Amino acid sequence: MSNNKLVGLTRFKPIELLVPLIVVFVLSITIGLLSASLELAVQFALCNLVMVLALQVFIGNSGVLSFGHGAFAMIGAWVSGMSTASERVKGNALALENLWQPLVGWNFNLYVSIIFAMIAGGLIAAISGAFLMRLNGLAAGIATFAVLGLFYNFFFNNTKLGPGSQALPAVPKFSGVYEPLLLSIIAIILVYCLNVSSIGRKLRATREDLMAAPALGISIQKVRWIAFTLSGALAGLSGGMYVHVAGTWQVQDYYLVFTFLTLAMLVIGGSASMWGAVVGTLVVTAVGQVLLLWEQGKSLLGLKIDLPNGARSLIIAASLVGMLLWRSSGLTNGQEFKLRVRNKL
Amino acid sequence: MQSILDAISLGGTYALAALGLGLVFGVLRLVNFAHAELITISAYIMVVTNDLPLIFSFLLAALTATILAIITELTVYRRLRGTGPAIMLIASFGLSVGLQKSYELIFGALPRSAAVAPWMTGSVQIANLNVTISSLVTVAMTIVILIAMGYLVDYTTLGLQLRAASADFKTARLLGVRSNRLITSSFAISGVLAAFVGFIIVVENPQVEPMFGLNITILALVGIVIGGISTLRGCALGGFIVGFILSLLNTFLGNARVYAYSYLFLAVVIILLVRPGGILSKRNEMERV
Repeated sequence: MSNNKLVGLTRFKPIELLVPLIVVFVLSITIGLLSASLELAVQFALCNLVMVLALQVFIGNSGVLSFGHGAFAMIGAWVSGMSTASERVKGNALALENLWQPLVGWNFNLYVSIIFAMIAGGLIAAISGAFLMRLNGLAAGIATFAVLGLFYNFFFNNTKLGPGSQALPAVPKFSGVYEPLLLSIIAIILVYCLNVSSIGRKLRATREDLMAAPALGISIQKVRWIAFTLSGALAGLSGGMYVHVAGTWQVQDYYLVFTFLTLAMLVIGGSASMWGAVVGTLVVTAVGQVLLLWEQGKSLLGLKIDLPNGARSLIIAASLVGMLLWRSSGLTNGQEFKLRVRNKL
Repeated sequence: MQSILDAISLGGTYALAALGLGLVFGVLRLVNFAHAELITISAYIMVVTNDLPLIFSFLLAALTATILAIITELTVYRRLRGTGPAIMLIASFGLSVGLQKSYELIFGALPRSAAVAPWMTGSVQIANLNVTISSLVTVAMTIVILIAMGYLVDYTTLGLQLRAASADFKTARLLGVRSNRLITSSFAISGVLAAFVGFIIVVENPQVEPMFGLNITILALVGIVIGGISTLRGCALGGFIVGFILSLLNTFLGNARVYAYSYLFLAVVIILLVRPGGILSKRNEMERV
């Protein structure tokens, strides 16, 4: 690392966990109460936050790139959506006329379905990870991309298990920001605890030096597999939340745009820390919302700039590249939150 | 017969795309997602300038793609050198999305279309077999380009430097290879290759939209990983295999052809597990750090 300090925390410090929690809590509640459209935006942001946290656990700690997490979110969302949409909808919707019969009768409580989503995401990650974690670097990136492509292609064309390229309608929604907020808070705590645990530290050791880590008795494949599985479960959770915010399941929602946006959030915030994931999600969401207003021709605090459609994604993409050029370790520089005590010499 | 020829021509197209990616990867260890946008821009240019004679229109497309490739190198990749492959990969991902959105603003989100080289869509009869002209032209063109690239890589100073740099960049520099010039040239060549790919696809599918080049680039990426990213021959071979298999799957899977990609991706995962460095790699080759 450029500053010669190992990035990532080593010991539990309450402030590093509390500040992100408070920031997420306060912002979600205050902004969520402003208007109905902002409430929805906050809910989506919280889903993205959980996804970015999932990516942080694996990519940030191991340094191995994964494009496969979109697939785990897709599975989680599918399980959660399919098991909560009502029997009447599943039996009658035009997009679902070929649906496999046992799935029609599949019906669970929303909260149970979210637990299933986590299990499903974790399970698929565990199975694919058992094979893929032997790979390093580019091969790992491409192989995880293949996993995403495989699931996308399968669900996009399969009308027995899902709506194919169409949407699964009428998935029950969360009643407000509180439920996704609670789930995000749980995710933040889980991720922080995982990062300070021995698994997290071992994983960062493998990131820093692929030769030295095994010499210290660390099994690279094993720690990566554990992290991959857990982060797959978190991605499944994110998908499970997403489907209950959007109220519909569509395979396209979990493909390239989703993967790009969440990766951009992680990199902009700083992939090496949980605080980076939180900051990245907040900043990208906030910028995206402002740009969205301008794209729609509305004014913000008296400031009105006319943006053509599509300019929003262009600016987010440009700021991702700009961030990498300016500071490749992200806004937080890969550090957890800390109160600055400046030593003036 | 037609399906074999189709498979060969698709394989050839993918080989060209894979070669463009492999060239840049060889010297820079960069997986250039934005290669897709080089293909897209050349297709756009060919559609927009369709009134000009084909050769001018193509030259213009190749020039634009080359300039764009060099600009991305100068403004983004050069400054990121030394930050590691993961960062560069994410940057190229961002660049790719950014360029797509720029195309959307410039050319509109709806497809732009024009009949580029309409004579190529006809067919001729060879020994009682109907073959489309476009697949014949594609096969011929690919063979010529691959031979030309082979000559370039094997017999010219630039090729020698390319091989040296992709084997060991640091040592190559110590021996007097000018790294900036080499990298810029490899971007330029990849731009020209992208223009050829753009031309081949736009003849078959004249509907150019912002994500036009994405599909083939992703599959070519898969190809270079399968074939072995460390050598240009491996890249071209991998690209060819992917295109060839995909075309055959499309022909023989019948109604299940929609799952062709699933089978392909499954095959990729399996190949990577057996040979993480690609088919042409030597066993137990450690990744260079």
